[in-house]
Amino acid sequence: MSKTILSGRAVTKKFRGLTAIEDVEFDIPEGAIYGLIGPNGAGKSTLFNLITGYYALTSGEIRFFDRDLASLPTYRRNQAGIARAFQISKPFPALTVRENVRVGAMFGKPERTNFDIVTDEALSIAGITELADRTAEGLTVGALRKLEIARAVATRPKLLLADEPCAGLNPTETEEMVQCLRNVRERGTTVWLVEHDMRAVTSICDRIIVIDAGRKIAEGTPREVVNNPKVIAAYLGTPVEDGN
Amino acid sequence: MNRSLAIIAALAALIVIAVLPLWMPPFYTRVVQLFFFSAALATAWNILGGYTGYWSFGHTVFIGIGAFASAHLVTHLGPFGSGPWSMVVPVLLSGLICGLFAAILAYPILRLRGIYFAIAMLGVGQVVGELVTNISWFQGGVGVFLAAPVPQGMPPEQFFYYLFAGLLILCLAVSFWVRHSRFGYALLAIREDEDTAMMLGVATERYKIAAFVMSAVLVGLLGAVYGYTVGYFTTSSVFRLDFSLNMIVFCLIGGIGTLFGPVIGTAVMLLLTQVLLSGFLDIHLLITGVIVVAIILIMPGGILGALRPKRRASASKAEPAAKVQS
Repeated sequence: MSKTILSGRAVTKKFRGLTAIEDVEFDIPEGAIYGLIGPNGAGKSTLFNLITGYYALTSGEIRFFDRDLASLPTYRRNQAGIARAFQISKPFPALTVRENVRVGAMFGKPERTNFDIVTDEALSIAGITELADRTAEGLTVGALRKLEIARAVATRPKLLLADEPCAGLNPTETEEMVQCLRNVRERGTTVWLVEHDMRAVTSICDRIIVIDAGRKIAEGTPREVVNNPKVIAAYLGTPVEDGN
Repeated sequence: MNRSLAIIAALAALIVIAVLPLWMPPFYTRVVQLFFFSAALATAWNILGGYTGYWSFGHTVFIGIGAFASAHLVTHLGPFGSGPWSMVVPVLLSGLICGLFAAILAYPILRLRGIYFAIAMLGVGQVVGELVTNISWFQGGVGVFLAAPVPQGMPPEQFFYYLFAGLLILCLAVSFWVRHSRFGYALLAIREDEDTAMMLGVATERYKIAAFVMSAVLVGLLGAVYGYTVGYFTTSSVFRLDFSLNMIVFCLIGGIGTLFGPVIGTAVMLLLTQVLLSGFLDIHLLITGVIVVAIILIMPGGILGALRPKRRASASKAEPAAKVQS
C-alpha cells in the first residue's frame, strides 16, 4: 500500500459531558477513495470538523503527511492540502460560479499561479463549465454540490473531504457526482467521503470506515463492511442494496 | 476597445473637472467640492462596508480624528513649511494616525459581525467624540483653529475643489485596485460567507483588518483636509452622525459594493438636497427621506444594481425534489 496521507490516533472529542468521538483510529492511504458511514449522529461531520480544524481535539492526534495538525488554524490546513466540500452547500451567493471557484484557486495555496487556468480546470472537473457566469444563488441542489466540489478542487488539495455529496440528488445527478469524484481522484487527490447513499459508496470506495456513537466499529472493503454483522446491526438494518 | 473607451472617458472627465471651476459661480464650485468630499467618503466607506460587508455606523470617528490630529500637529509641531505644501505633512500624518487607531481598534472590534459591528462602531464614534470634548488637552469643547494655506490669488473654494477632486480620484483608484485584486476577492468572500472563506484558505482576520485600516486612512485624509476647509471646529462639527449615515445612504442609493455606486449615489442625493430642494428649506429633509425610502424600495441593489442586466439565475427551473433512493 502507498504512503499514508492522513492518520488519526485515539481521536477524541468531547462537548461538555457528551463524547462525540471516542478513540477513533484511521489511516488513509494516498490516492484512495475512502468512505465514512454510520447512522445519523454517529459523529461523521464532527470527525471532519476536527480534521479541518473547525473544532479542536479533546485528545488524540491527527497527522497529515506525518505533520501534526493541532497547531494549524483552519485556513493553514487548507493551504497544506486539506479541502472540504460541505453537505449543506455554502456558496458565496452574490458571486458568479466562476468567482466562487476563483476564490478557492486564489487562496487555496500560498503561491501564485495562473488563477484562470486553475479555475477553468476545476469547473470542468466538476462539470459546471456552462454554469460559470450564473450567480450561485438560485442554482439547483445538484449544481450547488458540484460547485462545492469545484471550489474545493480549485484549492488544489491533496485530500478532499466530501460531506454527503450525493444527499438529496436524483439518480442521474448521483451518477454525475460519482463520476465527478472519480475525476478528482484521477488528478491524484485522495478522497474521503461521508455518504448515506450505499449504492454510491460501494461503487466508488476502495475501503469504508464505519462509526457508530462516536466509535469506530468496522473498516474494510465495501463487500466486507456490508456483510459485517456489527454494521448491519448498527446501520444497514437489512443486508445490501438498501440506502435507508 | 472597451479599455480605450474607458481611458478616453476618464481623460474627458479629468479635463471637465479641471476647467469647471474657472467659469462656475462660487456657489456651485462649493457644491461640487462638497460632492467630491462626500463621494470620496462614500467610496472609502464602501471598501469596508460594500466589499467586505462590515457596515460601520461610526466612520465619522476617522473624520474627527483626522481633523483634530491635523490641527494639533500644526499647532504644536508646525508649521510644516509655507504655502499650500505645508498641508502635506499634517494631512498625511493624520491619515497615518487614523490607520494606527483603526489597526488597534480592529483587533477587538472586527471579531464582531453584522449588526454588532455596526452598533459597536456607532459607539466608538460617540465615545471618541466625548473624549475629545472632555479631555481638555484636545480642546474639542472650545474648538481648534486650522488655517488653510490657500495660494495667493486663488479663491478658497477653488483650492479645496481641486484638493477634494484629487482625493476622490485617489479613493476611486484604491477602490478600483481592491475590486480587481486578489485582496478584493478575499474581501468579497468574507462578505458572502466568512466561515467558508476561511475554509477555502482565506486568512480572513488579516484581510478584514487591512480593509478596515485602508478605509480609515482614506477617511482620515479626507477629514484632515475637511478640517482645513472649515478653519475652526469643535467636536460636534467633525464627529457628526450625519457624516456616518450619509456614507451609508449614498452607497445604498448608488449601489453598494460597486466601484461607481457610491459616486453616483452621492451625485443623485446632493443634486436633490443641495440644488433641486434648495428652495424648500423647511420641508427638504422630509422630501429627502421619502425619496431615499422610495429608491431603496424600488431598487434594492441601488441605481447601478437596477441598471445592470440581470445575471441569469437558474432558479426558473424547478428543483427536483430530494429523492430517497430505493
